[in-house]
Amino acid sequence: MLGLGKKSASRAEEQLTLLTFSILTLASILSFATRLFSVLRFESVIHEFDPYFNYRTTKYLAENGFYAFHNWFDDRAWYPLGRIIGGTIYPGLMVTSTVIYKLCWLLNITIDIRNVCVFLAPLFSSFTTIITYLLTKEVKSEGAGLVAAALVSIVPGYISRSVAGSYDNEGIAIFCMLLTYYTWIKAVKTGTIYWGTLSALAYFYMVSSWGGYVFLINLIPLHVLTLMATGRFSHRVYVAYSTLYCLGTILSMQISFVGFQPVQSSEHMLALGVFGLCQIIAFIDYLRSKVSKADFETLSTFLMYTVGLIFLTGVGILTLSGKISPWTGRFYSLLDPSYAKNHIPIIASVSEHQPTSWSSFYFDLQILVFFFPAGLYFCFSKLTDANIFIILYGITSIYFAGVMVRLMLVLAPIMCILGGITVSHLLNKFMRNMEQTKPPENRKKQRLESNYILKNETSLTFVGIICVLFISYTFHCTWVTSEAYSSPSIVLSARSYDGGRIIFDDFREAYYWLKMNTPEDARIMSWWDYGYQITAMANRTILVDNNTWNNTHISRVGQAMASSEDKAYEIMKELDVDYVLVIFGGLTGYSSDDINKFLWMVRIGGSTDRGAHIKEWDFYSSNGEFKISKEGSPTLLNCLMYKMCYYRFGQLYTEGGKPQGYDRVRGAEIGNKDFELDVLEEAYTTEHWLVRIYKVKDLPNRGV
Amino acid sequence: MTIFKMLKFLLFLFFSQLVSAAIVQIDQKLVNKNVERSIDLTSHLVKVTAAITLENTGTSPISNYLIVLEPGTSGNLSFISVKDALKEELVVKPTEVAGHTDKVFYNVILKQPLGGSRTVVLNLEYVLTEAIVPYPNEITQKEKQFVRYFGSHYFYTPYSTTKQTTTVTLNSRNIENYTKLKPVSQSDSSIIYGPYTDVAPFSFDVLSIHYENNAPFLTVTHLHRLIEISHWGNIAVEENIEIVHSGAKLKGPFSRYDYQRDTSSNHHSVKSYRTILPAAAYNIYYRDSNGNISTSTVRTRKDWIELELRPRFPLFGGWRSSYMLGYNVPSYQYLYKKGGNEYVLSMRLLDHIYDDMHVEELETNVVLPVGVKNVKLNAPYEVERLGDGKTFKYLDSLGRVVLRLKKSNLVEQHIQDLEISYEWDTLTLLHEPVLLAVALYVLFIIVIIYVRLDFSINKSEKKE
Repeated sequence: MLGLGKKSASRAEEQLTLLTFSILTLASILSFATRLFSVLRFESVIHEFDPYFNYRTTKYLAENGFYAFHNWFDDRAWYPLGRIIGGTIYPGLMVTSTVIYKLCWLLNITIDIRNVCVFLAPLFSSFTTIITYLLTKEVKSEGAGLVAAALVSIVPGYISRSVAGSYDNEGIAIFCMLLTYYTWIKAVKTGTIYWGTLSALAYFYMVSSWGGYVFLINLIPLHVLTLMATGRFSHRVYVAYSTLYCLGTILSMQISFVGFQPVQSSEHMLALGVFGLCQIIAFIDYLRSKVSKADFETLSTFLMYTVGLIFLTGVGILTLSGKISPWTGRFYSLLDPSYAKNHIPIIASVSEHQPTSWSSFYFDLQILVFFFPAGLYFCFSKLTDANIFIILYGITSIYFAGVMVRLMLVLAPIMCILGGITVSHLLNKFMRNMEQTKPPENRKKQRLESNYILKNETSLTFVGIICVLFISYTFHCTWVTSEAYSSPSIVLSARSYDGGRIIFDDFREAYYWLKMNTPEDARIMSWWDYGYQITAMANRTILVDNNTWNNTHISRVGQAMASSEDKAYEIMKELDVDYVLVIFGGLTGYSSDDINKFLWMVRIGGSTDRGAHIKEWDFYSSNGEFKISKEGSPTLLNCLMYKMCYYRFGQLYTEGGKPQGYDRVRGAEIGNKDFELDVLEEAYTTEHWLVRIYKVKDLPNRGV
Repeated sequence: MTIFKMLKFLLFLFFSQLVSAAIVQIDQKLVNKNVERSIDLTSHLVKVTAAITLENTGTSPISNYLIVLEPGTSGNLSFISVKDALKEELVVKPTEVAGHTDKVFYNVILKQPLGGSRTVVLNLEYVLTEAIVPYPNEITQKEKQFVRYFGSHYFYTPYSTTKQTTTVTLNSRNIENYTKLKPVSQSDSSIIYGPYTDVAPFSFDVLSIHYENNAPFLTVTHLHRLIEISHWGNIAVEENIEIVHSGAKLKGPFSRYDYQRDTSSNHHSVKSYRTILPAAAYNIYYRDSNGNISTSTVRTRKDWIELELRPRFPLFGGWRSSYMLGYNVPSYQYLYKKGGNEYVLSMRLLDHIYDDMHVEELETNVVLPVGVKNVKLNAPYEVERLGDGKTFKYLDSLGRVVLRLKKSNLVEQHIQDLEISYEWDTLTLLHEPVLLAVALYVLFIIVIIYVRLDFSINKSEKKE
C-alpha cells in the first residue's frame, strides 16, 4: 500500500514535470515566434537607428577580436572629434552575439553575423520566459510561474523592444535583470555565498549590457533597507547582500564605460550606504550578544553619533571635491518629468524619453493593468522576504514607467509576474470548488458549505471570465505586435489605392548610393538621428550621431540647418562637410521627416552660445504657427533646411487636384518655390524623394 | 652519307614541326581574294565579323592562316574565333612571326591543307572591349552621350587583299563626323567603306567615327561566381557582382525631378537590365550588403527565367553599384554519373548578366562535395587555376575542396560549359546525419548519467 502510494506520487511528479516542461517549451517557442512578424513580412534586417550601431560594432568585434574592439577609436563618427567606442559603450550585447557566432562557427554552423544579431532579441526573450517562471516560482508557486511565463512571452510592452531585428541592449538586458533578481531572491532565501556570487555574476552581465542597471543597484539595496525597517534583516540577507555588493561592484568597475562610477556617482550611493548599514547592524547584533544591556546602550549611542558624523562629513567633503558627481540629466528627468523639457532639449527631443500616456499602459499591458493591484494585494496578504522584493519592484517600476515611455520595458515583466500570481491564486481557489462534484461525506460539512449559493456555477463563471480575458489578451498582444511593433522603419510600406503594397526602400537606396558613389573619406552632415545608419550602411564619416554625447557639436549642426544659405556655408566649411543629407516626406506623406523635427534643431541649435542668434520665435509665422506655406516666417522659408527639402519641389505635382509643390505631410502648398541653391548642388534624390543628398560646392576660385 | 642526310632531314622536320607551333612564316602565296568585314558599334563592345575568301596562288598546299590584330588593340581583345564554311570551329592559337615581333598574331590551322589555286571561306569573329571611348568624357544629365571609335579602313592582314568592303553599324543616325576614305556611303545608321581593291599586306589607315551612342555602357569590374554542389539534389549558385557605368561621367548635379520627367527610353543612364537564368532556377535572391533589393521582377519564359534587375539607384556615368544574385538549380540537370563512382559536373563557367556584357575579372569557385578524389578539370577556354581552397559548410567536419578559377576580360561569347569530373563515394552522403545523430546521442547519454549521479559531498537533509 505504502509502496503503491509512493509510486503514484512519483508518477504524479513525473507528470507534473512533463507538464511544466511542455508548457515552458511552448511559451518559449511562442515568445520566439511571435517576434518574427517583421522577418516574415519584410526580411531579416536590422531595425531602426541604435541597432545599426550595435550591429556595426558587433561586426567589428567578430572580425577583429576583443582587444581591437576595446581599443577601437572610431574616426567615422563625430568628425573631427572621433569616438572611443570601447570606452563608451556597454559591450555585453556585442560580446553575447559574438560568442554565439563563434560557437556556431566552431560547430561548423555557418551562420551570418547579421542573422545572429537579428534573432538575438527573440532568443533572449525565450530565455526571459524561462527565467520569469523560475522567479515567480521562488516568490509564489509553480502554477503562478507558468502563468507568468505564458503572460511574459507575448506581453507587448516587452515585445516592443525585442522583435527580431531590434538589436538593442534592452533585448538582453531584461533577461539579465530578471536573472539577477532570481539569483538575488535565491540568495536571500538560502543565505549562501554561492547564490550571492551567482547573483553578483548576473549583476555583472546586466551592467555590461545596459545603463538601466542603475535601477537594479538601487532596487536591491532598497529591498535590504525595507527588510531592515520591517525587522526581517537576518544573517541570510547580510551574507547575500555583502557578497553581491562587494563582488558586483568590483566586477561592474571592469566595464570601462562604468569605470569608477559605482563608488563615485550619487546614483550608486544608496547601495554603498546600505552596505555600510548592513555592517553596522551586524556589528551591533554581534555586540548585543556579547555585552550587557546597559553597556550596550551607551556603546550604541556613542557609535551611532560617531559613525553618523563621520559619514556626513565624508560625503560632504567628497561632494565638494567633486569625487561624487552630480546626478546626470537623464536621472533628474526620471524624478521630475518636466526637468528635461525645461533644461535639456536634446533629451526632450527623443520621443522615447517622453512621459507615458495612460492609453499606452493599456496598449502595452492590457489585462495586466487590472491584475497588477490584485497581485500586489496577494503579495501583501502573505508577506515574505521575496514578496517584499516583488512589491518594491512593482511600485518603483510603475513610477518609472510613468515617467519615461522607454521604461515600460522594465515594468512589463513585473506586471506579468504579479498577473501570474493573481491568476494562479484565483484559479486555485475556484478550480478547487469546481472539482467537488461528488456527494459530501457528512451532513455537518454540507451545511457549512451550503452557505455558498451556486458555488459550482459561480466558480465556473469565474473561470470562464478568466478564459475570455486570456483569449482577448492573446488577440490583443498579437494584434499590437503585428501592427505597431513589427515595422523595421528602415523599409516603409504603404497601401496603394488599389489595395496593393508599396514599399519605400529609399533609406537604403540613399545609403547605398553614398557607399558606392562618394569618396571613401567623404564627410556627411545630417541630423543626428541618421548618424548610426549612415556609418553602418554607407560606411562614411558623419558629424553627429545617436550617441548624443556632445551637445555643442549637435548644436552646431542645428545652427547650420537653421541658418540662411551663406551663413550655413560658413559653418559647413568650418566643419569640413562634403555632403548634406536630409529626410523629406512631403511627397510620400512620411511624417517623421526633418521638417517636422526642425523645431528641435532650432531649439538645440539656439541652446549654445554660438547659436544665440537663432531664436525659436523667428521660425513661427506672425500668428505663432509653424507653417511652410506663404504665411510662414521668412526666416523659415529661407533657411538651409527648408531649401534643401523643397529644392525643385515647387515644380512637382504631388496629389491630384492640388497645386504644384503641395506638401502632403503638412497639407499645404509650399511658400518659397522658385529658388536656386548657390552653395549646394543636388547630388542624389531617392525615388520617392524621401532622402535628398546635396554636395557642398567648393569655394569659388579667386578672380573668377 | 645518305643516312646522315636523312637524319639531318628528319631532325629538320622535327625542329620545323616544333618551331611551327611557336613561330610561323607568312606565306605570301596566300591571298585574301575577298574580305567582307562588318564592324558592329551599336553597344559598348566592338564586334567584328569578317568573311574571308582565301586563295592559294602557289602550288604547294598551305595548312595555316595568320590573323594579325590592329596595332594597339591587343589588350582590348576579349574573344576570337574562326569558323569554316560549315560553321565548324577551327583551332586558333596565339603565335609569333619572325620580323613582326611588335604585332600580335593568331595562327589558324585549316581543317584541310589548301591546295594550289584553290579557295576556301573562313568566318572570323572577334570582340574588342573598351575600344569605344566616350567623347566628351563628362556630360550633364540632359546631354546625349557621344563616343569615338578608332579603327582601320582596311582589313589588317599579313596577306595582300584583292577586294574588300567594310560595313560599320551604329545605333543612331546622329553621327558627328567620320573619316571618308572613298568610296564611302552612309545610309541610315550604317556606313559602308569600299570596295577597296589590291591592298598591300599590313596596310593601315585610321578610321574614326564620332557618333551618338546611348547604349548602356555597363562594365562588370569584378564577378565572383560560387557554385556549390550538394548530392542531396541541389546546386546553389551565387554571384557577387560589382558593376560600373563606364560611359561618359556625369557632370554637375543629378536632378530627380528631371529624371522623372524624362520618359524617353533612350537615355545614357541605366535604369534596369535583364539577366537570364536557367529555366530550372528557384529560390532566387537579389540583395546587397544592406539587405534585399526590392526592385526586381522575375518572368518565367519557356526556356529560361528572365530577371529584370533594377539597381537601387539609376546608374549614371562613373557611378558604381554592387549586388549579390543567388539561386538554386536541381542537380540532375547538371550533374551526371559517369559510371562507378565518377561524376561529371557540367556548368557554365560564366553566366549571362546583361546583354552585350563585359566582365573585367571573373573568379569562379566550385565547392565540391565532402570527400571527393581525383578531380579533373576541363575548361572550354584557357583559364587560370588558382590553388585549391578548403571550406567548411553546415556541419562539415572534414571540409570541402574549392576549385578556384580566374580569367579576365570576358564577353557573352565566353558563356560556355565547364566540366569537372571527380570520384565520390555515395556513403559520404551519410556523414552529416550520422555526425548529428552521434552528437545528440552523446548529449542524451551525458544528461542521463548526470541526472543519475549525485555529486554532492554530504547528503541533503530534505531527501532522506
